[in-house]
Amino acid sequence: MTDSQPLGEMLRERGVSRRAFLKYASYMASLMALPPAAAATMAQSLAQARRQSVIWLSFQECTGCTESLARSFSPSLEEMIFDLISLDYHHTLQAVSGEAAEQARRQAMRDHKGKYIVIVDGSVPTAGGGVYSAIAGQSNVAMLAETVEHAAAVIAVGTCAAFGGLPEADPNPTGAVPVSKLVMGKPLINIPGCPPMPQAMAGTLVHLLSFGKPPELDALLRPLAFFGETIHDRCYRRQFYKRGLFAKSFDDAGARKGWCLYELGCKGPVTYNACASLKWNGGVSFPIQSGHGCIGCSEPRFWDRGGLYKALPTGTGERRRVVPIAAAGGAALGVAAAALARGRLAAAASKEAK
Amino acid sequence: MELLDFARGPALDFAMLVFVLGVTWRLVGVLLLPRLRDRSAPREGAPPRLVGALRAIVRRMWPRKEFIQVTLFSTINSYVFHLGLAIVVFGLAAHIVFIHDLFGLSWPSLPSDLVFGVGVITLAALVAALVRRLTHPVLRLLSGPSDYLSWLLTTLPVLTGLLATAQIGARYETLLAAHILSIAAFLIWFPFGKLMHAFLFAFSRGATGMRFSHRGVKV
Amino acid sequence: MSPAVTPSTTAGFDRQGERTDDDRVDAAMRSFVREFGVTAALHMESCVHCGMCAEACHFHVATGQAKYTPAYKLEPFRRAYLREVGPFAPLVRAFGLVKKLRVDELQQWQELIYDSCTMCGRCTMVCPMGIDIAELVKEARHGMFKAGLIPERLALMDRAAQEWGSPATPAEDLPDILAEVSEEHGVPIPCDLPQADILVTAAPAELGDHTKALADAAKILNRIGVKWTMHQGGFDASNIGFNNGDLQLQERLTRAIIDTAVKIGAKTILLPECGHAYGAARWEAAKWYGQALPVRIIHMTEFLDELIAEQRIRVKPIADTATFHDPCQIVRRGGLEAAARRVLAALGFELIELQDHGLTGYCCGGGGGVVSNQRATPLRHKVFEMKKAQVEATGAQRFVTSCGQCRITLEMGAKHAHWDKKTESLLELVADNLAD
Repeated sequence: MTDSQPLGEMLRERGVSRRAFLKYASYMASLMALPPAAAATMAQSLAQARRQSVIWLSFQECTGCTESLARSFSPSLEEMIFDLISLDYHHTLQAVSGEAAEQARRQAMRDHKGKYIVIVDGSVPTAGGGVYSAIAGQSNVAMLAETVEHAAAVIAVGTCAAFGGLPEADPNPTGAVPVSKLVMGKPLINIPGCPPMPQAMAGTLVHLLSFGKPPELDALLRPLAFFGETIHDRCYRRQFYKRGLFAKSFDDAGARKGWCLYELGCKGPVTYNACASLKWNGGVSFPIQSGHGCIGCSEPRFWDRGGLYKALPTGTGERRRVVPIAAAGGAALGVAAAALARGRLAAAASKEAK
Repeated sequence: MELLDFARGPALDFAMLVFVLGVTWRLVGVLLLPRLRDRSAPREGAPPRLVGALRAIVRRMWPRKEFIQVTLFSTINSYVFHLGLAIVVFGLAAHIVFIHDLFGLSWPSLPSDLVFGVGVITLAALVAALVRRLTHPVLRLLSGPSDYLSWLLTTLPVLTGLLATAQIGARYETLLAAHILSIAAFLIWFPFGKLMHAFLFAFSRGATGMRFSHRGVKV
Repeated sequence: MSPAVTPSTTAGFDRQGERTDDDRVDAAMRSFVREFGVTAALHMESCVHCGMCAEACHFHVATGQAKYTPAYKLEPFRRAYLREVGPFAPLVRAFGLVKKLRVDELQQWQELIYDSCTMCGRCTMVCPMGIDIAELVKEARHGMFKAGLIPERLALMDRAAQEWGSPATPAEDLPDILAEVSEEHGVPIPCDLPQADILVTAAPAELGDHTKALADAAKILNRIGVKWTMHQGGFDASNIGFNNGDLQLQERLTRAIIDTAVKIGAKTILLPECGHAYGAARWEAAKWYGQALPVRIIHMTEFLDELIAEQRIRVKPIADTATFHDPCQIVRRGGLEAAARRVLAALGFELIELQDHGLTGYCCGGGGGVVSNQRATPLRHKVFEMKKAQVEATGAQRFVTSCGQCRITLEMGAKHAHWDKKTESLLELVADNLAD
């Protein structure tokens, strides 16, 4: 693939009409809540951009992130992303394998030194010298370090890469860490979710391609356009929450009426993602709409939050064990205190008697 | 999210531990003191001691007719925030979930908007109580750091609860964490100050009820 | 016994004996500690600083001074509790969370618990936590006495009672007093009989200002034909030890009347119209005798009520309106509210109640030793104004009470306020209006 041909030309050659291209640009712009004028700018820049080299590293992951991005509903606008980038290395989607694949990666790194984007999915194991995940005899830690050295930017896609995800959950036997722990001094964007929303991944990439810089990020380095509001903020069941109408168990009368799932462990109020507004599978539905509470999958350590079905107001600790012990301890201290007090009373009495 | 995890986890655990330990310690430590009781013969027709105790517990819920006028503010305002706290604590769905998780008990909840309104009234009454305490000569004389701390730790949960519900001031998880932490602080302080009156009132009123019913006086 | 009225406006403190400050504090603390059984402890723990007690206390209501708040009157006592006996006491001491009591604090405290508290218990009636503040003041006085920090007038009376068996008069003077009274009113008054069914006792009021009361009692007792006597061994039931906080004297005086009754084979001790006598004998004698007192204690008001109810005496009705001052120790703290009113009804009075009456009646302002505590006179006069206003508001013709000390306090107050209303005694009214 030559990268000297402007994208606009290349797309026309492939049969993507200018209309479809403009539609794509304006869709992406509105997704990211950019002003209307940005759509035109985006289309213009994209048309003149060169195809972006992207190296996708897959570490301790389940491939769900790729699956999410690759979901296709004919025709999917998300799919267009694959026309705008040159995916020079990706375990699942690449044609080559073995040593040839590693050579392709290194070649892309040399050819586009300083300009390629690294996308990482999966967490990076660090225990035992990183032995728990190795590709072509190279540990993930080493491969990550080697690959990002001359990258333009790093995108950690999926909760595993962004925050550690499932492998990082207690007891974390592989010493899994998020990408942010290992990558310093490079622009880093986190696009969490388990899996992340395809619009989030595509939209962020397009923004990078069009404007040459990441979109506005929050404190956890997540694009505000997709992670600026909570599920709760946009949930269609919000009115039931306000009125105090909650499903008490799955498939009870309240659940069938579509009542709020707060009491069944929904983490919507503390989860930042776009599921409630953009929805999944081309806008068909999202977990709450299907009757299951949000599990908070775009937040750090959502696996270790006390349980997916433990409602937010409940504690996550060992209170049931703590309480009887505390009661016994308190009673013992009380008995001791009363004994001491009685002793002082008796002592005072005998002193007075003298 | 770390603050929320801390609040829901170790903070609440510690708070429950201190609360249960402290309350038990204080109650047992007091109730096991010697009974220096009135051994005189009761007045003829005096009710059994327990009845006298229970009568006093119930009757002292409201001042005697002659004292209503002079204790009007205290009586009314205190009831407003006590009842308000009860309605909020036991009526809000989220709180019932919390209690259910601890004790396995639950009951129907009140509409969240209604509880919010009651919460606002409760907060107003608490503020009124503070103003009174700061301005009334008797209360200024009687009050010390312990009283003000009890006020603060009772008011913070109400305030943070309202803020969390209305989502004012910070992200929801921060507000929720603040609310849970304020409850933790309340629970930790509870056994050591006058908040203990929640348990003590029955024993204290009961003791006087016993003494006076013994003498044929309806307290 | 009426002390000369020279109002003192400075609230100082008195001391008894030559002792070191530390010695006084230690003595006070030892005594305080002994009071903290479970009831006192519960009360010490339960105050929520609501300030309602202030609104019930006549000293606070009459003067508006916050320091007379009943709960505030217990501060040093509470500190002793928290430091010594409370469940967290070891921590309190270790971390200095509550300061040790100092002698100057005890000295300043004297005024609060002796001059401005009559132990009337009105505060107890309003406290939402049911704290018996009056009882706790009484218990705190034990420590103050042990520390030698009570008002000197009360200490004087204490010494007199230790010597004489009464602050009013020596025991050996009793036969003469009774003979005089007997002659003056033409009524036989037995004294020192070796055997009798009822031992009759008096209080300083009857032995001093209102000796007619002795004759009134005699008249009624003679009418009903019981075998009764007064006795030098135990004749003053008022029990100054109970007031002062002198437990040893309280015990001595209690035993004096009960042991004398037992000695002469009496099954009943008739108490005079006196409040503290009732508290001391009816409710607290059990401290030393256990539940089964060897005798029955009956207050004059109860006695009159029973006699009328059993129709052993009848009274001629008086068609006047009357209002009644409820003595704190026999009504609010004693349980005789209804008994007093039955007697008033039998006397034919149209009773117009004071605005605050019965269990919430205002104290006369002189109880608990306050009337004898000359230092407290100005305060007492202020309190009296409230009583006077309430009596006048009823428009009643007669003003009646059934406690000799209340009567003296009210009379002294009336004199100071140039009020011409006479304070009458229930006993006297019954005796003067016996029907044949």
